[in-house]
Amino acid sequence: MFKYIRLETKNIAYLFPFIVILLSACSNSTDNTAVDEEILLKEWDSYKENASESEVSIFMWGGDEGINAYMDEFVSPELKEKHNITLNRVAMDTNEILQKLMNEKRANQEEGTIDIIWINGENFLNAKENDLLFGPFTEVLPNYQEYVDTESLDILYDFGTEVEGLEAPWGSVQFVFQYDSAKVSDPPKSFEELSTWVKENPGKFVYPEPSDFTGNAFLQHLLYDQIGGPDKLLENGFDEEFVTNNTDGMWEYLRDIEPFLWRDGETYPASLTELDRLYSQGEIWMTMGYNEARAESFINDGTFPESTKSFVLDSGSIGNTHFLAIPYNSPNKEGALVAINELLSPEAQMTKYDTTYWGESMGIDPEKLSNDNKEKLAAMERGGSVLPANELNEAFLPEVDTQYGGWIREKWLNEVVQTD
Amino acid sequence: MKWFKQTKYVWPLVPAVLFVFIFVGYAIMMALLESITINGQWTLDAYKQLLENQSFRDSILFSLKVTLTSTFISLFIGVVITRWMYYYLRNYWVKVLIWIPMLFPHFVWGYIVILLFSQSGWFSGLLYELGLLEDFTHFPVLTQDQHGIGIISTYIFKEVPFVILIILPVYIQMNHQYKHVVQTLGGSKWEIFKTVEWPTIFPVLSEAGIIIFAFVLSAFEVPFLLGATYPKMVSILSYDWFFQGDWSQRPMAFAAMIIVTSIIVICSIVLFSMTNRLRIRVSKGER
Repeated sequence: MFKYIRLETKNIAYLFPFIVILLSACSNSTDNTAVDEEILLKEWDSYKENASESEVSIFMWGGDEGINAYMDEFVSPELKEKHNITLNRVAMDTNEILQKLMNEKRANQEEGTIDIIWINGENFLNAKENDLLFGPFTEVLPNYQEYVDTESLDILYDFGTEVEGLEAPWGSVQFVFQYDSAKVSDPPKSFEELSTWVKENPGKFVYPEPSDFTGNAFLQHLLYDQIGGPDKLLENGFDEEFVTNNTDGMWEYLRDIEPFLWRDGETYPASLTELDRLYSQGEIWMTMGYNEARAESFINDGTFPESTKSFVLDSGSIGNTHFLAIPYNSPNKEGALVAINELLSPEAQMTKYDTTYWGESMGIDPEKLSNDNKEKLAAMERGGSVLPANELNEAFLPEVDTQYGGWIREKWLNEVVQTD
Repeated sequence: MKWFKQTKYVWPLVPAVLFVFIFVGYAIMMALLESITINGQWTLDAYKQLLENQSFRDSILFSLKVTLTSTFISLFIGVVITRWMYYYLRNYWVKVLIWIPMLFPHFVWGYIVILLFSQSGWFSGLLYELGLLEDFTHFPVLTQDQHGIGIISTYIFKEVPFVILIILPVYIQMNHQYKHVVQTLGGSKWEIFKTVEWPTIFPVLSEAGIIIFAFVLSAFEVPFLLGATYPKMVSILSYDWFFQGDWSQRPMAFAAMIIVTSIIVICSIVLFSMTNRLRIRVSKGER
């Protein structure tokens, strides 16, 4: 008998963690809105004071070694030295970060683990609609006020969603195609020429499926081309009837080139990584992606052939801005503000522009820099695979409502894939 | 009822059972709730949409095809290897050799398959160097193909060692004198297998089978790496619906996973009731 009793008490101990979990899920629902508003009313210097010796966790997509190196080798020591902040970078896909926040929101968890997230587009729309973000906070950042072109449309709108101060612009990228100049002498200038090229070189071109961000952007270019530029799409927001009625040619075009694509169009790469792998192994001769300088780091580490060059089509190239935001339940909002402000500083932005690490365009306005910095910027070499700035600027096209992305995905499946 | 009286076996099970009920049970319940509510309203719309959805119907058939093929081939090869080699497999080093694929995660093994068997992979390159292949596009399409060859072969590589791991002890402990009985009575090798080995290994084998079946049907990483654009395995489809766009397709993602869960649960119940009957017969000594 004694033996049984001992076993039972032991088991109550086993149960303890579960009870704690159950109880903690039920409590913890205080309202923090008032505290948040108070934070935003403080003086800038008091943030710096409070942030000192604290830890700031940034959750961000970690699939690019150049970007990771920029964070770990430049930003992290910089924050430590200037503000005594310990930066803790956690690699996670943005949609999963939002899922985590969404779960925390449902469980009424007011103290989370994330202080900064890297975000834009659909993810921002979802975060905004579900009240997952803290703010509006951008107005309190000195560097935002001083260096950001606050009137610019691609900073006021993120893929058609109004930003409303909930995220601060970190950088911007433009969509370019990369090709191997050793194999392709004269890259196409329009979708028509691309189609001719694809037919002359069967199996050497493919785009990622549109569930991938890059594949979706490729199709969006085609959509713009089809209806004569993004203006009509920008005017009315998402208009399903309009695009459905005016895009037969687009799907016709895709069905027409499909038999000449990689693997005879039977399958498409599931991700940009996969497309780049095919390009680096020479299976295909062109790849593509956001960030006009993306090929540089691949050329430097030997993944892409040195003869890699880039091009944009005459009908333009889509560019977008990406942002930094603070979750509603960030445990260190003041630290996050200081860190984001530092990331928007000319120094941090110009190091990011340099191809050593990342090589993408700045989130701040180059015109607002000091003369010294302007000169430095002009002297920076972006590398042989990057198109000249004026050519990129001329080609720049804005993003439209994110719902077009979803429409493209659905429609592509019906019109291109299921017709085989 | 004898089993329940042995309370000392029941109590230590409580944490494990509670763990399953609280975490897995809660997750399934939440998924079920999410699949039958849209904007706070009770509705079966998600299931209706699913059944009308061509991608889903193709996907579930494709998933079942891939899963059943890889499960049965793994079980078959596993049994054949164990039968032939159980004597040698007692040796530590031979065992290690067979179990090497188990050391790699599925994701890594999937990547190995791509690097070796894709059109620009290692084998294609080797054949090209040897002058046996004019161009790598002539190499057969073994990865990211529409028949799931890449997925199936990855799972076979990974699951065969698992099958061996599970049935090896059964073979080693089997009463091999029964075999001699069949032999003396003039039975063939096939009859030895049918009358002596099969009844002993069947319950264990079916357990291994259901584990592989459940895993393959719902796993994500291998089909993500090695699958084609269309049809997709149901886990990929569901992941896409879960994360994409404005989250309006989430009920469908949950409904798809609930359907997959139901398939697995039904298969397990059928198999366990079958093997239970067999176990009872075996324990009563009627073969």
